[in-house]
Amino acid sequence: MGKKLKPTQNFAEIVFNDPVLGILLVLPLLFWVLATIIYPLFNTIYFSFFNIRYIGVPFQPVGLTNYKYVLQDPSFLLACGRSALWTLINVTLQIVGSLVVALILNQNFRGRDFIRNWVILPWVLPTVVVAIMWKWILDPTHGVVNYLLINLGLLAEPIQFLASPQWVMPTTIFINTWRWTPYFSIILLAALQTIQRELYEAAAIDGASTWNQFRYITLPVIAPVLSVVALNSFLWSVNIFDTIWLLTRGGPIDYTTTLPIYIYKKAFQEFRFGEASAASIVMFLGLLLIVVVYLRRLFRESEEEGL
Amino acid sequence: MKKRSGSFGKHFSVLLVIIVFVGPMVWILINSFKPTVELLSPSPTFFPRNFTLEHYWNLFRRVNFSRYYYNSFIVALSTAVITALAGALAAYSVYRCRYPGRKILFRLFLSSYVFPKVLILVPLYIMFSQLNIIDTPLALVAAHVMLTAPFSVWILRAFFESIPIAIEEAALVDGANRLQIVFRVFIPLAAPGIAAIGINGFLMSWSEYLFASVLAITDINKTLPVGMAYFLQEYSIEWGVMMAGSVLIALPPVVGFAIAGRYFIEGLTAGSVK
Repeated sequence: MGKKLKPTQNFAEIVFNDPVLGILLVLPLLFWVLATIIYPLFNTIYFSFFNIRYIGVPFQPVGLTNYKYVLQDPSFLLACGRSALWTLINVTLQIVGSLVVALILNQNFRGRDFIRNWVILPWVLPTVVVAIMWKWILDPTHGVVNYLLINLGLLAEPIQFLASPQWVMPTTIFINTWRWTPYFSIILLAALQTIQRELYEAAAIDGASTWNQFRYITLPVIAPVLSVVALNSFLWSVNIFDTIWLLTRGGPIDYTTTLPIYIYKKAFQEFRFGEASAASIVMFLGLLLIVVVYLRRLFRESEEEGL
Repeated sequence: MKKRSGSFGKHFSVLLVIIVFVGPMVWILINSFKPTVELLSPSPTFFPRNFTLEHYWNLFRRVNFSRYYYNSFIVALSTAVITALAGALAAYSVYRCRYPGRKILFRLFLSSYVFPKVLILVPLYIMFSQLNIIDTPLALVAAHVMLTAPFSVWILRAFFESIPIAIEEAALVDGANRLQIVFRVFIPLAAPGIAAIGINGFLMSWSEYLFASVLAITDINKTLPVGMAYFLQEYSIEWGVMMAGSVLIALPPVVGFAIAGRYFIEGLTAGSVK
């Protein structure tokens, strides 16, 4: 796309070589980013070495105490484990789910464009609506899911989807996957549509099975997009806070307390801001590798297009 | 052309996708019109037997809903306007001006989208407390612009590239100065893109919970997600009211998506499919 600039590039080079204007225009956003992202990020590091229980009194430096506290806190280690489990299952289900949905929507049917646009609804809805919706649908006494399961004779008594220790994690994972699957399926669908139908027809004439068509025609085309989906899905899943919090508040007991929930609870329920900062830093270091991979990809992609 | 599976399997699978992903919201919409007795009856009905708007009335009578709605609207609108302005100017600078360091700036904006937001929740809260702006719309707008503006530079890319440089050159030849070119010539041309990032900012702010939950504390300052979330944690939930509330909260995003959705989908797919 950026190649369009080429024919006039020399003239453009002269015309747009205006550093003063450029810096002037970028200044408002740059200021905002520095003040509300970069400065706070450095503060997270700084605060992680202080004991901060009240805001307004001077913070006490405590060295590495917060890090010791966090790394020795069994509920922090459990939160790490839950975050790993949550992320792994979410990413897997979202990749498989979005691929299935994309393949379904790639068929020829009436109202295709309309349905393709609106299938993304779960992603459009505010999280609080998603939480209210699923709490209602899965409610043990009034929810439609338990009602149907009992009336079909599949269940003797209602399942406490969001209140029982063994069900709560699978249920929240399902709801989060439900929310993100359509989003990723739309991305995959766009990739699927770049494949020419003739390829499948030719393969069918040559006697290739459906599986082989998928394996040798579809998969090679969508493989790079699948890796984008996997990377995005990973980064977003790991950081999910609101969906879990609004559904369960990290409970029952601590069964859905993943890392973001742990940090939030430390800071805004226990008012241990120093410990919360230390936990944030540990979480960030754990994610560093995947963040770097993600950014390199994003930078390469953007600069290929000739910034 | 394809002989296998036939049209039953095809239509069944499409129907299943619709039921799974669109069905729940439709179910909430239908339920919001049922009287409480019918809503909580042991044998649920599909369509309301007695249509009622009582839950919608209760929302405004018994809950501070109109106040939350107003707060959310003010915060989201401010976020949208600031995002559109700051985003468009920064995007012009990054894509159209030549100066040393602009690549670094572009990377800075891009990376601010990736890091975990929960990381800056505590320092932002402490900073706003020290500035004494906690529990004001100002703090919320500041946080929401932070969440949406940097990435809007990236969204604007395709829009800006579709505007030929020749137009700006012509304006320059006609004697317009550089600022005039930006504001009088370029921005009107890029208006659809700028509107799209504005709508995106509005919807993000409208739905945002994490920052709003710690930056809006007293009841009169709460936004919709925070206000409704409070009722969600109560032991006995007033389901009718929650359902009606959900419908009204979902309304702006759904309408916004109906208007600008194709830009999102285009932007979404253009970025990742090469």
